[in-house]
Amino acid sequence: MIRPADSAWPNIAGHLRRLSEYGDLLRTLSIHRINVRYRQTLLGVAWAVLQPLLMMTVFAVVFSTLARIPSEGAPYALFAYTALLPWTFFSTSVTNATGSLVNHTQLITKVYFPREILPLTYVIAGLFDFAIGLVALTVLMTWFQVPMTAAVIHLVPVVALLAGWILAVSLLMSAAQVRWRDVGVAMPVVIQVLLFVSPVIYSLSVVPERWQSLYLLNPMAGIIDAFRDVLLRGQQPDSTPLGYATLVTACALPIAYLVFKRAEATMADIV
Amino acid sequence: MIDVAFDRVSKRYRIRRPVQPLPGGAAPHGRLQDFWAVRDVSFDVGHGETLGLIGHNGAGKSTILKLLSQITTPTAGEIRLAGRVAALIEVGSGFHPELTGRENVYLSGSILGMKRREVDDKLERIVDFAGVHEFIDTPVKWYSSGMYVRLGFSVAAHLEADILLVDEVLAVGDAAFQLQCIERLNELRRNGTTMIFISHDLTSIEKLCDRVALMERGRLIACGSAHDVVEQYQRMAATAHVAAMADAGASVQAGVARVEAITFHDEQGAEIISTSTGAPLTARIHFSALATVRDAVVEAFYYSRDGRTLHFQQSTAVAGGELTLSPGTGMIEFTMPGLGLQPGVYSVGATIRERTGSDTIDWFYGRTALYVELGKSVRGNFYTPHEWRLVTEHAQAGDRRSNA
Repeated sequence: MIRPADSAWPNIAGHLRRLSEYGDLLRTLSIHRINVRYRQTLLGVAWAVLQPLLMMTVFAVVFSTLARIPSEGAPYALFAYTALLPWTFFSTSVTNATGSLVNHTQLITKVYFPREILPLTYVIAGLFDFAIGLVALTVLMTWFQVPMTAAVIHLVPVVALLAGWILAVSLLMSAAQVRWRDVGVAMPVVIQVLLFVSPVIYSLSVVPERWQSLYLLNPMAGIIDAFRDVLLRGQQPDSTPLGYATLVTACALPIAYLVFKRAEATMADIV
Repeated sequence: MIDVAFDRVSKRYRIRRPVQPLPGGAAPHGRLQDFWAVRDVSFDVGHGETLGLIGHNGAGKSTILKLLSQITTPTAGEIRLAGRVAALIEVGSGFHPELTGRENVYLSGSILGMKRREVDDKLERIVDFAGVHEFIDTPVKWYSSGMYVRLGFSVAAHLEADILLVDEVLAVGDAAFQLQCIERLNELRRNGTTMIFISHDLTSIEKLCDRVALMERGRLIACGSAHDVVEQYQRMAATAHVAAMADAGASVQAGVARVEAITFHDEQGAEIISTSTGAPLTARIHFSALATVRDAVVEAFYYSRDGRTLHFQQSTAVAGGELTLSPGTGMIEFTMPGLGLQPGVYSVGATIRERTGSDTIDWFYGRTALYVELGKSVRGNFYTPHEWRLVTEHAQAGDRRSNA
């Protein structure tokens, strides 16, 4: 049954059921993204490790050696890497996912499948890179002689939260990009700004008390802080920042999905 | 049982009409205008039935397919579908150049809605159909454009669906591949697949479809037996053509005689729909006349498949004596010692007119397709039958040398 778009849209369960019918496509396309990303590159999948490592090196030189930003006793390189790991996942996935619909105009105007699959595959490919970066992290921690504690188990829900937030932003941005190409043009600047309003270069503790609640509305703040809690401080994540992040993501994700599905109805007409 | 039901469906597009650019180069926002691509269309397609959709470009045929495949949603109305819908379209454009043919088959198969296991089962047949066996593990960026398109199409041609949407497939590949596609569609049809079929090739529409729906400017203006609706469309096109001629001062004395069919035959007289460049070919223009037509001219026109280019014409006026058609049926045979057309698909039409004046009695709009396969291989737009002989000039050359 096909009806005009506005008659049945707030139906998340229905959308998800539909999506599950396309599990094969989601899997094939995700593997395809991972497969294709590093084809015809010299270093191949090593890039997944090199990207955050290079950033880490630059950050360590500029912000620690030159600007002398405190890192709470941990080696600054490691301090930066623990934040760069989730940050790279966020920035790469969101950047790639934003263009995912307009770069597949041919498919969108010719074949039907739940469109969220396209941004979703870029998030999954980002998750794969993230996993490789995690392996590099264990090597780094051994190198810097920072012990990994049992608290690391707390990373599992944090990573799920991170993926959820990335997905919410990706869905919104990719749908917006279909209508307003400005989104794609503005994206590098926005990502840059977000980097500075997230505790990547500096620690969350340096943010003044009265700005904290506003600052924490950016879920990346709570998530990055949780990474540092678990990896550097060997403790379970501070519940206040993480609580903010969970709340914002829990609201944003369903809204983003519904907005996306509403936009999907006319996507092929305007893409 | 009804597989597809369209119930008063409309689709509106909002088009932004460009206005004059503002001074200073600021991008102006044009006014929004409504454009109804489909307006209040209702029809049913029964289980196992094949419905053809015809109409001029922009009549709304493709929008109907887009609505059916859920690529876009209707503005008003309701569509009911019973079963799995798949669209048979060329998806080579969804291929990734770095991936091998095999990897791309899996990729585009899953995009079209095939399960992985389904692709496993069909891989062999898909590859055979496309004829790219030896290159299946080569990245498709090294493929020729023909191979690329054939492989993309052949994935789609092996979809299993209850309802299959077919959009202008006969514009893909060379003549041989197109014949293969028609064969495949017939096979699916015999297996009971419900099909909705768009094509400009009226011959295949008439051959493949049980019923045909005719669209004009977003509205459904006729739906009925394939033969009748195709004919109505042709008369419409002919009327438009004739009206254009009438504007130019000509008049039409319709109904006295008409072209019934155009058929092609090989040297033995057997009817064929495909031939090859340089092969002898006979075209028969079958006509019927109600009254005697004196000093008649029968002509055949060979157009490109889109009908835009007239490649050549055969006419009873350029050779032989006077032609008189007497009441009854008959045919004019045009024989060619060697067909000049290069490989491709052509649409062939015919007219009956009187030599004196420019009155057209009947106009058989490019309804018949002629498939031309690779035969005598020459470069250029046409093959022209020719002979050659060797002439030597040894003696003269020798003389000249002795003079030097």
